[in-house]
Order: sequence, then C-alpha cells, then structure tokens
Amino acid sequence: MSQLAQYIADKRQQKPILSMTHVVYGYPTVQESLDWMATLLEAGADFIEVQFPFSDPVADGPTIVAACHGALHDQQLTVEQCLSDIGQLGRDYPQSRIALMSYLNPMYRYGLEKLVKRCAEENIQGLILPDLPYEQATELRSYCDTHGVDPVWLVTPVTPKDRLAFLASEARGFLYCVARSGVTGNSNHNGGERQSLDEYLAEINSHANAPIGVGFGIREKAHVDALKGKADVAIIGSALLDAYNKGGKEEGLKLFNGLFNA
Amino acid sequence: MQSNNGYYGEFGGSYIPEILYASQQQILHAFEEAKNDPEFIAELKDTWQNYSGRPTPLTFCKNLTDHFGGAQIYLKREDLNQSGAHKMNNVIGQALLVKRMGKKRVIAETGAGQHGVATALISARLGLECTIYMGAKDVKRQYPNVFWMKQLGATVVPVEEGAQTLRDALDEALRDWSSSHEDSHYLIGTTCGCAPFPEMVAYFQSVIGEEVKEQSQAQFGQYPDRLYACVGGGSNACGLFLPFLEEKNVEMVGVEAGGKGLELGQHSIRLSNGLGQKGIAQGFATMFLQDDNGQLQETHSIAAGLDYVGVSPIIAHLAQEGRIQMTYAMDDEVVEACSLLLKKEGIIPALESSHALAGAFKDAPNLPKESRIVINLSGRGDKDIFNVAKAMNDLTFPEFLENYMADYNEHLSDNNQGEA
Repeated sequence: MSQLAQYIADKRQQKPILSMTHVVYGYPTVQESLDWMATLLEAGADFIEVQFPFSDPVADGPTIVAACHGALHDQQLTVEQCLSDIGQLGRDYPQSRIALMSYLNPMYRYGLEKLVKRCAEENIQGLILPDLPYEQATELRSYCDTHGVDPVWLVTPVTPKDRLAFLASEARGFLYCVARSGVTGNSNHNGGERQSLDEYLAEINSHANAPIGVGFGIREKAHVDALKGKADVAIIGSALLDAYNKGGKEEGLKLFNGLFNA
Repeated sequence: MQSNNGYYGEFGGSYIPEILYASQQQILHAFEEAKNDPEFIAELKDTWQNYSGRPTPLTFCKNLTDHFGGAQIYLKREDLNQSGAHKMNNVIGQALLVKRMGKKRVIAETGAGQHGVATALISARLGLECTIYMGAKDVKRQYPNVFWMKQLGATVVPVEEGAQTLRDALDEALRDWSSSHEDSHYLIGTTCGCAPFPEMVAYFQSVIGEEVKEQSQAQFGQYPDRLYACVGGGSNACGLFLPFLEEKNVEMVGVEAGGKGLELGQHSIRLSNGLGQKGIAQGFATMFLQDDNGQLQETHSIAAGLDYVGVSPIIAHLAQEGRIQMTYAMDDEVVEACSLLLKKEGIIPALESSHALAGAFKDAPNLPKESRIVINLSGRGDKDIFNVAKAMNDLTFPEFLENYMADYNEHLSDNNQGEA
C-alpha cells in the first residue's frame, strides 16, 4: 500500500471521515497563505491540498480563479519555493499530509521528473493535476513509481462505467471523486444527476483500489456527514475560500470547525 | 492532416479535465463517422455553396503585381464568405455535426468577434441556442460585432477574468462546457484545443486550399509557387496550406503578429525568433508565450483575431519541421499593406489578413516575375473601420462619431418623450 493510502487507512481507525482543505499558495501573499495553512493544520486538518496557481485554471470556478489570478498579480511564484515552503509546513505538522495540486504547464516547465523527486524529498505524497488525464501521464506515472509519490486520478459522475472501473483500480494514494459536473465552487451538490451520490460512491467503492476522497460542492456539515461510511476524505475548496475572503482566517476556521470538529 | 492519435509531432494531444472525457470522445467518434458519410458531406457542401457563397474566387491582382515588379500576386477571397471571413467554413461544419449529435446548444469563444458572429449566424439558421464568451476588453473594442451577435439571438457573456481577452474567453468557454457538456457543444473557432478540434477545424477549413488547387490549375495551369497566410490560432493557414502539404515545390509562409515590438506583451509571435516556448495548456500542447514559471502571458496585435497566446499544434509542428516558414509583420506595416490593397485593387482587407499581405509584399519584389503567389485574404475589413481610422489618424472620423452620438441621443430623448 502506498504511504498516502496507509496514512488514510490508519487515521480512519480514529475518525469516520478525514478532512482535506484547499488553499491557494501565494494568495493573497505567500506568507498569508502559509499562515492560513498552518492555522488549518493546527485545527486538525488531515490534509492540505495546496494549489500552485496557474494563469489559466480551466477546471476551477470563479472563486479559485480569482485567487489564482490574485496570487500571480504582483509576485513571481516559483514551484521550487512553493515545494520548500510546504515541505517545511509538513515537517512542522507531522500528523497531517500535504498534497500538491496545480495545472500541468507550470509543472511541465519546472520539469516533471524534478517535480516528483522534489515532492518525495519534501514528503509531499500526492500530486493532483486536473488537466493531465491518465492516458497522457505515462511519464509522470513512471517518475511517481520510482519516487513513491502518488498521482491522484479524478473520476466524475459522467465518467463512463468501464473507464471509472479502470481509473478506480489504478488509484494510488486516494481516488478523487468529483461529486458533480462543472468547475469548482458550484453549490449545487450532485443536483440533477441521473445517479444519486450514494450509488455513484458505491459503484466507485466496488472497484477502488485506494481510499476515496470526495470534492466539488461540499459546503455544509450535512454534505460531510452524508459521506461518512461511503468515502474516506471530504475535500473542501471554494466554500473555504469564500469564507476566508469574507472574514479571513477567523471566518475560514469557523467553517472548518463547523464541518469537521462540531 | 491526419494526426497521430491527436498529436502532430510533439504538439497537440488532449489535456482536458476528466469531466470532459465522455463529451470529447463523443465528438471524436461523431466527426469520424460524419466525414465518411456521403450525406453529411453533401449537406456540408450544399451549405457552403448556397449559404456562404463558396467557392470563393481566386483573384489576380495586376496592379499590385506591376507595383512590386516581382511575383504575380493572387488573392484567395475568403473575405467574400457569408459573415465576411473564412470562419464560416468551420462553423457550418461543426454546427451540422452538432445537429447530427442531437445537441441543442453551442458555446463559442471569440476575440475580435468574427468567430462569434459566424457562430451566431449559423446558430440562428439551424435553430441552436448560442452562448458566446468574449473578453470584457474585446467586448468594448469590438462592439459592432457584439451588437450583431445579440441581434442574431446569441447570449454574449463578457469575461471579466484575467486580461479580459481571447485567452480568458477560451478558459471560460471550457468551464461552461464542463458543466453543460451533455447538451452543449463547444464550437471552437480555430485549429487549437484538445483533439480532435485541431484536426476537425483544419478539415473544414481545407476547402480553402482544395479550391485554390483547382482554381490555380484552371487559371494558370499549375499550382502556386508560394502561399501566404496570417497565423493567429492558425485556422486559415491550415485551410490554405494543408491540401498542398505533399506538393514539395509549393512553399508556405505563415505571418504572425509582431504588434508594437518584440518585448513580451507587445506581440503575438509564438513561432519565430525563439519567443514562444513549448507548453501544455487550454487542452493541448503547443508553443505558448509564457514566462519562466509557466504562466501564460499577455499578447498584443492591432488585429484582435491574431492576439492569442498559443497557436495551432499543426502549424507549430510544420514550422518545427521547416515545412512552413514563419515570419511576422508589425502593426504599422500591416496598416500600410491594408492601405496599399485598398488603393491598388479596390479590396478592403481585415487587419488579420493584412498581416499575410504585409509578409507577402516584403517578398514579392524579390521573387521571379514568372512565379505566382497566393495570399489568403481570410476576411474583409469592414469590421476594422474604427481601428483603421485611428491607425490612419483620420481626423474626420471623430467628428462623424460626435455627430452620430448627438443624433443618437436626440433620437433616444424623442422616443422617451413619445412614451411619456
């Protein structure tokens, strides 16, 4: 079992569902984003999904897009610095894990092999690249195998059944299940889908070779509770960023605690 | 040009969010079936001919030829298409495919608004719901096109993200498609994006080069020696060039937008002078204008249709192979070329197409008199009236606008009083 899957399995012995909180690196500044991550880790977040900003984040909705553009507006962000910064954070909070999320281009420019090697050195065990489909990732997968880092694949409610079975069986670390169509930040949680979220997760569970994380549209405690027993990790992104934008760390923390520590 | 599983050399591919996988596969299969279905091809040709006015002429330019004293200059008249640009060839093809797939809605991105207008036109004709994403800055710069799109029944969404230009419109169209893929088709306007879009758009545009083959044989008994096209996304260049790919004696020149200068942000030159670098974004791999950290950068051109950060993977590959020679024309050279065509031949070219003219005019005097060049006049220039007036420092134009505004306001206040 991969290090990441093992971590999730161990922690799940104590908790019905783990938390993954998303933070955009460099938003509004590098230091503030690192402080916000530390605050979440202090509050018991099991994972931080750190998004390295890209100018053209096509899978993200307005909240995260604006944060990425904000982060890139007045400062030069480098992948190298990001890896060092979040690596340090991981060492400061050894009870939690950090996953790196970005789009392919900044990672490609940095060098995929170097990226995976550096992730391993900084104990960043999961890598989420939403615009790199499995089929195009032969190179990345081989680097990941070599260095013990898990590429995280996404599945969605419209992923064809045979493909879903395949991706679930190929999952390492955890499988990222998108709860509905669209980009990040839409509040319509699994609304209007042909299949209920429960059926969708049951289908995934029957094939999955790794723990299951569910994201896209999680905003309320009821959403998190509904995942207990069906998934291992609840991922909150846009809702947390909305709260942070509204009232800073305090408001963000209130949401996090309401979802996971109530 | 047939791709190798979506790739052209090291460019192309399909780098899209998982949510779009099924829709992308559907287009892939629908396109494969359609192009092998004689009924589809017959309907396509009929619509090209009877709706868009194809075949477009190949026009010999005697005055220009005499002016330069070198190569004999011909224009492929894509400006005479319905909508005034080659964009129509592609939207007709894709819209017919949309009907075939049973979808009811199309989404498109647009820069100058030419592709937006073309999409709105065909959508009105075929009864498709139509949403156009356009950078908020472009909405302001190109309002006449926005006006027509709205009159045609399209919803125009100004994109306020990022630099508020074509790149942002494309991102936003992809986001819409991520939520609406089950009933909507992303009708991309150029030979970019994930597979099979580059191949499909190039297929529909290749009617340009196919016609030039026939017309050149008919008019002068052989193929042209050189072809010129402007390169923004690359669709008109693919359309003219690809049918000649195997004709080794036919040279091809692509002309990019040099804008105001070669500093990053001042131009849209991706394929020469080492200014672009390989990247993977917006669904495909190609040469992008980007910084060392892989962030895509701002671009500039006097021609909004060339103001794009990436370029067709097909053109990127052929340029890398040396099959296409790449050059660029600066904003001021473009306005000069536009002006020369107006005066010598009585044809009003789009500023995009004027890049191809500028590139060709530089070479023409030095080419042998018996050689023949074909320049793709991809669009007509009516839409550029405001920009050209400004670039030519025409002093009467502001006066016209002021009078127009005064009259317009009077008209509005008369209407209001009538209602009161």
